[in-house]
Amino acid sequence: MTEMPNLYLPEMATIIETVQETPTIKTFRLVLNNEQRMKDFHFEPGQVGQLSVFGTGEATFVINSPPTRKEYLQFSVMRAGEVTARLHSLNSGDQVGVRAPLGNWFPYEDMKGKDIVFIGGGIGMAPLRTLMLFMLDNRADYGNITLLYGARSPVDMAFQYELPEWLGREDLKTTLTIDNPAQGWEHRVGLIPNVLLEMEPSAKNSVAITCGPPIMIKFTLQALKKLGYKDEQIITTLEKRMKCGVGICGRCNIGTKYVCVDGPVFSYAQLKELPNEL
Amino acid sequence: MAQAKFLKEADLAAWLGELAKGRKVLVPQKDGDAVVFKPWHEGVKPVLDRQATESPKKAVFPASEKLFRFSYIKDPENPGKVRVELEEPEKPEPALVFGGRPCDARGFLIFDRVYDSPKTRDSYYVARREATAFVTLACPEASNTCFCHAVGSGPADTAGSDALMTPVEGGYVLEAISPKGEELLKSPLLSDAGDKLAQAERVKAQAVESLPPAPDFAGSPEALMARFDDMGFWENASAKCISCGACTYLCPTCYCFSITDEESGMKGVRMRSWDNCMSYQFTLEASGHNPRPTKAHRLKNRVGHKFSYYPLIHKGAIACCGCGRCIKSCPVSVDIREIVTMAIEAAPTAEESAQPQGAKQ
Amino acid sequence: MSVIDELKSAIKAKLSELDLVIGWGPGFDPLHATPLFMRCEKDVDKLLWGPLNVHNPATYLPGLKGKKVGVVVKGCDSRSVIELLQEKLVKREELVIFGAPCAGVIDMGKVRRALGDLDKVNAVSIEGDNVVVTAGGKQHTLPLAEVAADKCGRCRYHNALISDVFVGEHLPPSVEQDDYADVEAFESQSLEERNAYWKREMQRCIRCYACRNACPLCVCRDHCIAQSRDPHWIGQGDNVGDKWMFQMIHAQHLAGRCTECGECQRACPVGIPLLALKRKLNKEIKELFDYEAGVDPNACPPLQSFKVEEEHINERGW
Repeated sequence: MTEMPNLYLPEMATIIETVQETPTIKTFRLVLNNEQRMKDFHFEPGQVGQLSVFGTGEATFVINSPPTRKEYLQFSVMRAGEVTARLHSLNSGDQVGVRAPLGNWFPYEDMKGKDIVFIGGGIGMAPLRTLMLFMLDNRADYGNITLLYGARSPVDMAFQYELPEWLGREDLKTTLTIDNPAQGWEHRVGLIPNVLLEMEPSAKNSVAITCGPPIMIKFTLQALKKLGYKDEQIITTLEKRMKCGVGICGRCNIGTKYVCVDGPVFSYAQLKELPNEL
Repeated sequence: MAQAKFLKEADLAAWLGELAKGRKVLVPQKDGDAVVFKPWHEGVKPVLDRQATESPKKAVFPASEKLFRFSYIKDPENPGKVRVELEEPEKPEPALVFGGRPCDARGFLIFDRVYDSPKTRDSYYVARREATAFVTLACPEASNTCFCHAVGSGPADTAGSDALMTPVEGGYVLEAISPKGEELLKSPLLSDAGDKLAQAERVKAQAVESLPPAPDFAGSPEALMARFDDMGFWENASAKCISCGACTYLCPTCYCFSITDEESGMKGVRMRSWDNCMSYQFTLEASGHNPRPTKAHRLKNRVGHKFSYYPLIHKGAIACCGCGRCIKSCPVSVDIREIVTMAIEAAPTAEESAQPQGAKQ
Repeated sequence: MSVIDELKSAIKAKLSELDLVIGWGPGFDPLHATPLFMRCEKDVDKLLWGPLNVHNPATYLPGLKGKKVGVVVKGCDSRSVIELLQEKLVKREELVIFGAPCAGVIDMGKVRRALGDLDKVNAVSIEGDNVVVTAGGKQHTLPLAEVAADKCGRCRYHNALISDVFVGEHLPPSVEQDDYADVEAFESQSLEERNAYWKREMQRCIRCYACRNACPLCVCRDHCIAQSRDPHWIGQGDNVGDKWMFQMIHAQHLAGRCTECGECQRACPVGIPLLALKRKLNKEIKELFDYEAGVDPNACPPLQSFKVEEEHINERGW
């Protein structure tokens, strides 16, 4: 083709490790086959990538490893459709295609000096993970960092191998919750918005970043409003069916905004400006 | 501008023969009851007396194109180890769209802002765009469904064309619009237009007069946004729509696509193909959630994209060239002019009973 | 009172009990009528009745389930309603059917062939057995019999086969039996000729699926195999193979269900003669099961029932 870069041509990558996080979530750690490209690969926390399984297609996932840790790129995939099903059948050594980074990212510069509250539900923890680890790796730039992470049950909780470390850190206040009591569960029980209200994080000089299933987001937003958070202090990420990932193909728009290039990260204030078509 | 030329009707085939040397020349030709753009070859008589059924969109944006081929290759030493090879397609061959109308050529200007912007350059599109020239026929007479003059164009609009042909007595007056067009007009078959040029100007003026009164789309971006949540309006506007894709596929400006893999054994292609925002699957997410679940939502997006979102992003440019194909080829005669006009005229809280009716002629 | 006036008053009399009534109104030019959704008396005043009412309003019925809907039908449209009722895709108690005798509708393709194009129509009038079209300042007098849809020439059901209100005088059938002469003529060609014919016709298909979406009995629409990845029977490429595959599945899916309203063919923006495929299958159905779709609300379509021994299929004889 012409000299300009081919936006649709994935870079080949090798899966170096997989983790079966939950019955429906599998994590893939991969490196680009081109060593120099891997070394030069730059992305920001919250940016997404399109993973390709050739023969099945592409789907969009957040790069949930932080830019500060570059030995591999990590994607956590919840099994939902055709591409994710085939991704789940892959293991280390298998080849996938990657088009990344795409989209915008968390405005971490604007969050410097502020207290940060992460509220993640289920697979929604993935986008939060990248920013949280990035902030922990630049710890001095931020105030108190709080994490509330919930899942339906203990088996539905991803990143379990990291939870002891997160719980043990003095510079991170971690609260875990599940929807219903379960044997051996030592943490909170209750829906995320309710636990959040009990935790009562102060809205003062604070930013809340929340991600999870739509119903959880809906009630979490209500809880945050109750706690005094303004629309500009609440940040979330959106998901849409995507194909091109570069703002052309026309399916992820909400009015004038294209989730693939103007998103996936939006403040609640920005979301309120969008037409009602989530 | 370069001198205007004249082509005798009798020399049309010979000139097409010259043009077809070294490039694919797409001309409108009869295919069943339809008129479609297909490669010219000796003996083909282009249909120039009416607007083609389809637009020449596929010349630059094929209905389906290979983005790349992929093959899984087993390591002979270690069959468990499989690598993937990707192979990009060849450069597109030079092409010429001959006998499209000004609205057809103008359609690509709407593509350009999206496919070839400082932010994003789609290499497949740009390569075909650069390889394709347009010799466009000025419309001598408007159709009932024409409204190019309502979207900033006209029957002799040169925007997007390399040369403009105007039918006059005994042949065509040819005017170069671009350097590419000047090259095309260097044929010895063409003579100096002389006083035929004045005749061509008269044809163009008559064409303008033949147009029905232009619908007024001023304020459409804001008006459509104001109506976004008025689902009663959109349910009415879409009541008769059957949610097929005829309008989008015939449209010179509809540029949405899908990407799918077609696999056969150890190899296959990743393909980009025309997609259609009127289809339920267009926005259906893997979770089963669909942000545009009904035809009312989808028609709102189609009309909104052309007359609101796109102009809001691109300095007021409406993403419609007024060719009218979506109206005349719609199986149920949904009329986009009417929907936009209704959205502008009706106050956002207007009663729900307004039923789409014949456009204001 | 004329048929149209009778229809209007019949609809107005029922309007208050209904969410809406579907009929035909004026479209973007005098030649094109368009489906009309009537909700108030003012809407009913726009109703048209005559040979320009080419659309089949039954197509909208499955999408309006749960609403109380009035529908104005031609004879052929009423067969679609019957088939929908047979298949329990619509509920009788949710429908009020207005019928009137239909002498036939025009085939836009035939008018196009007579005029060259349909782009500049200024006026249309029905004068006796002719339709008079003025286009680009020129008047064309076209005998209705010549520009009527083929289905009208072989129509045996000019009057709605099912209705709650019927206005006007019943019309006699055009023919006694459909002899499927057109299908037989096509069948007389060699396999290669037939294959070449369809390859040529399908080439210009733009895959818009107007054929599917206009069909009153294609009720899967949003979940059609045409775009499904699972099963992945049809690729998305612009090639005759995939396009043809879709038409084959489409036609097979309608075998014994299709009432030959011709919407698939009428809706096709590039004029592919799709009804022929359905007629071929209906001919087979007629021979095998002596069955005709959409005439008896109580009948069960043959491919939706099971008999251990079929009368016309010799299963064990080979």
